[in-house]
Amino acid sequence: MGGFHFLDPKGLLLLAALVPLVVLYILKIKRQRQRVSSTWLWASAQRDLLAKHPFRKLVPELPLLLEILALIALAVALARPSTRGGTIDGDHVAVVMDTSASMATRVGGPAGTTTRMDQAKRAAQNVVSQLSPGADAIVIEGGREARVVAPLDRDPRRLQAAIATVAVRDVEGDLAGAVALAADRLRSLGGRQRIVVVTDGALAHDEPLVVGGIPTEVLGVGDDEENAGIVRVDVRSGVDAGSHHEQVQVFAMIQSFGAKPREAYVTLSIEGRTEPVASRRLLLEPSAKLPVVLTFEPRPEDHGLGLVVQLAPGDAEPVDDAAYGRVPGSLRMPLVVASDAPYSWTTRAIEADPNVDLQRLSVPQLATVNVDPEALVIVEGACPASVPGRDALVLAPAAGSCFGVGVGAPVDNPPLTSWETGDPRLRFLTLDGVHIARSLALDAHGHGATLVRSSSTTLVADASLPGRTVTVVGFDPGDSDWPLKASFVLFVRNVVELARLHRAQGAAGPARTGDPARVSVPDGTTKVLVDGPGLPEREMPAKDGVAILPPLDRAGLYHVRWNDPHVGSALIAANLTSARESDVRARPVPIAGAPAGTTTTNAAQVLDAHSEWITWLALLAALAIAADVYWTTRQPRIRRAGVL
Amino acid sequence: MSGTLLDPAFTRELEALRKRLRVRARSGGGGDHVAPRRGSSAEFLEHRPYAPGDDLRRMDWLAFARTGEPVLKLFRAEEDVVVRLVVDASASLETGDPPKIQVAKRVAAAIGYMALASSERAQVLAAGDGLVRMREPVRGRGSLAKLLRELDSIVPEKGTNLASAIDGVVLRSPRPGMLVVVSDFLDAGPFDAALGRAASAGHDLALVQVLSPEELEPPWDGDLALEDAETGDVLEVTIDSRAVEAYLARLGGLVALLRSTAKKHGATYVRLPTTAPLLDAVRRFVGRAVD
Repeated sequence: MGGFHFLDPKGLLLLAALVPLVVLYILKIKRQRQRVSSTWLWASAQRDLLAKHPFRKLVPELPLLLEILALIALAVALARPSTRGGTIDGDHVAVVMDTSASMATRVGGPAGTTTRMDQAKRAAQNVVSQLSPGADAIVIEGGREARVVAPLDRDPRRLQAAIATVAVRDVEGDLAGAVALAADRLRSLGGRQRIVVVTDGALAHDEPLVVGGIPTEVLGVGDDEENAGIVRVDVRSGVDAGSHHEQVQVFAMIQSFGAKPREAYVTLSIEGRTEPVASRRLLLEPSAKLPVVLTFEPRPEDHGLGLVVQLAPGDAEPVDDAAYGRVPGSLRMPLVVASDAPYSWTTRAIEADPNVDLQRLSVPQLATVNVDPEALVIVEGACPASVPGRDALVLAPAAGSCFGVGVGAPVDNPPLTSWETGDPRLRFLTLDGVHIARSLALDAHGHGATLVRSSSTTLVADASLPGRTVTVVGFDPGDSDWPLKASFVLFVRNVVELARLHRAQGAAGPARTGDPARVSVPDGTTKVLVDGPGLPEREMPAKDGVAILPPLDRAGLYHVRWNDPHVGSALIAANLTSARESDVRARPVPIAGAPAGTTTTNAAQVLDAHSEWITWLALLAALAIAADVYWTTRQPRIRRAGVL
Repeated sequence: MSGTLLDPAFTRELEALRKRLRVRARSGGGGDHVAPRRGSSAEFLEHRPYAPGDDLRRMDWLAFARTGEPVLKLFRAEEDVVVRLVVDASASLETGDPPKIQVAKRVAAAIGYMALASSERAQVLAAGDGLVRMREPVRGRGSLAKLLRELDSIVPEKGTNLASAIDGVVLRSPRPGMLVVVSDFLDAGPFDAALGRAASAGHDLALVQVLSPEELEPPWDGDLALEDAETGDVLEVTIDSRAVEAYLARLGGLVALLRSTAKKHGATYVRLPTTAPLLDAVRRFVGRAVD
């Protein structure tokens, strides 16, 4: 039996009529006066009755009691008392709750006062209240990751309290892990098992949920809602074609998931400032995807600050109406080439880029000269133990170890067999026809990955570290014909652009909600202070130049600060930007391997399923009134024979 | 008023019944009443052998002549017995239709008539909150009118204390006699103890309980405020079958007390509903019934 509640509590106002009723009974003087010889025997008889029947005192006011009963029954009937549904079939029940961003969608549009999560909580609490006697339940939330909210418990109150703590996370919904966890927990138990999934169906993947043969019930929450959201955002630095001034370019992809055209405004503002720096008016056609570019010329003090892209007016799902970014550093990329060679093909390729601040150093100078910490450092002919800057490109290192990649003996005329075309450094180029006279054999098995390989060894390896992209090329370009081909220039340009992108993204790079964030910090930093949207500042550990933040549950701007070995900060812009989460139209939840008994139900229907008690209460009131009438009009039924 | 207490037809019935009236009391004084003990009246009782010291004037010489044995003739004693009519004059006897006091006066008048017609003395006493009135005993048929006037003058008022009234009668009676108590006996006091003391003093007790039909079968139902006729106290009750059963159980207890008291002291006990024929009650009275 579900919870008992009133559908129309205003009916209880009728209980106020109890006050005048009782007052009238208190004030009433309507006893008929009868003169008798003596009240002695009557008083004795009354004492006898009181002694025999403890409740005899109430009998004189029986009409009052009956009238109160009738009034209460009528008041409660007017309030439409009802009990929820029936019982959940199963000895062990796992309740899986979707906590993805779409669950924050307001029911009934932007003006709605309840969210899908509110509905989900009610549905889940209703489920645990309907557990059959002796049954237990486990509550698992499924956002990006699965998490046990309440372990197996028989106490509905504890389970309901745990459900009440479940909150929406600004993450994509992936219930596969949560359902798998539920199935795994239930599988080891005997008796009848059941999984109840409470979701709006807006999940990150279309793959069916695998329930391992356990009967599953999907309780769907929410209805079709009109929504539009920012499904992608990118921030770059560029140059204004007209003025040739540096400008920040924010690319935002707005997608409509509604059935009606909609007018919207996209504004770009800098964190902490009230005036937007750019805005656009849009007309969103139904189901249309519209790219928007917002630009502004940054001031020197703007670099590194947070950017907020806002879609207005708000709609059913608030989280996708905002996206965040970071004002990238200046357009000109600081680049250091450390080489002891008299001529550098690499330098020649770089000099073609006008947006590069090139600094030439010898290899020993790397240890002494102050290098921009965001610079791309290219080292030729050596691989120092400590390379300053951020990203690094090492060409023809000395034998030994270079950023964890083993550098072995030279190999003559290694045939170039394949390369990773999907890597951004090798994008848009081909190495066909490139001949290498001599290369050092690289060993990327212990650390790193092969980018370019010959038939017998690795020629180019990725030796990236957390927060730092390192590319190791095992040969001097001068020992090949590669510089004579366009692919060499493209390769160098790709490396520079990748470094430029990393610089634009700051110390942390792009972050998606639900993922842990990785922040590059100085080597000596042991702790960082982090604050984020709606979160108090908290301390996190850092080690080996990296601070790893736990999965970010909220979209927004996270500020990371550190004080050792010197003061520094980083900004993380965490975004949801998920078209699947922004699409809040009702979708079915496919289930794989579900046996008979698997059902999909709208939670609202389940919650609305109830039994009303009006008829019984009205009958009770009628009986009370009839008894009252009988009592006040009854004929005496006195047994007198044989008493004396 | 006195004419309503005894009408001619009723008096004729009483005349026939008076011969059955027996008084067991020993007053000790000589009189016209034939006592159950031996005495000096003209009514022969029995013979007994002569013993030295007996009065020779009582020798039955004829019997001695026939049998040769000296025997004495014994005669019944004749005593002067007072029939004391104690009428409850408390306000409780005002109630009922007809009022209980009226029936009480009539039954007292009937007993008084039989006493006077039997050459006994009769005395009217009123019991209220103690002994409130005590008239001089009267004798002979010629005093009937006075007796009836005295009964007629009794006006119910105030409360009841039967025990005090009975004790008062015993204290003020120089010789025991027949003590007739006409009352509803709706008195919470220890009147049974007082009756025991009267019996111990030699009084021949007779109890006549007058009750109205409302007291025997309460016709009321529902919420009532019962007003005590004597004290004016009001008792709020809800009368239903259970309440009536409890009341009748209490009334039955009172009747049982009167019955056991009567049996214990060899007394007469007659319960008289005000609507019942009075003659039947008188018949039961002279038959020394214990209802």
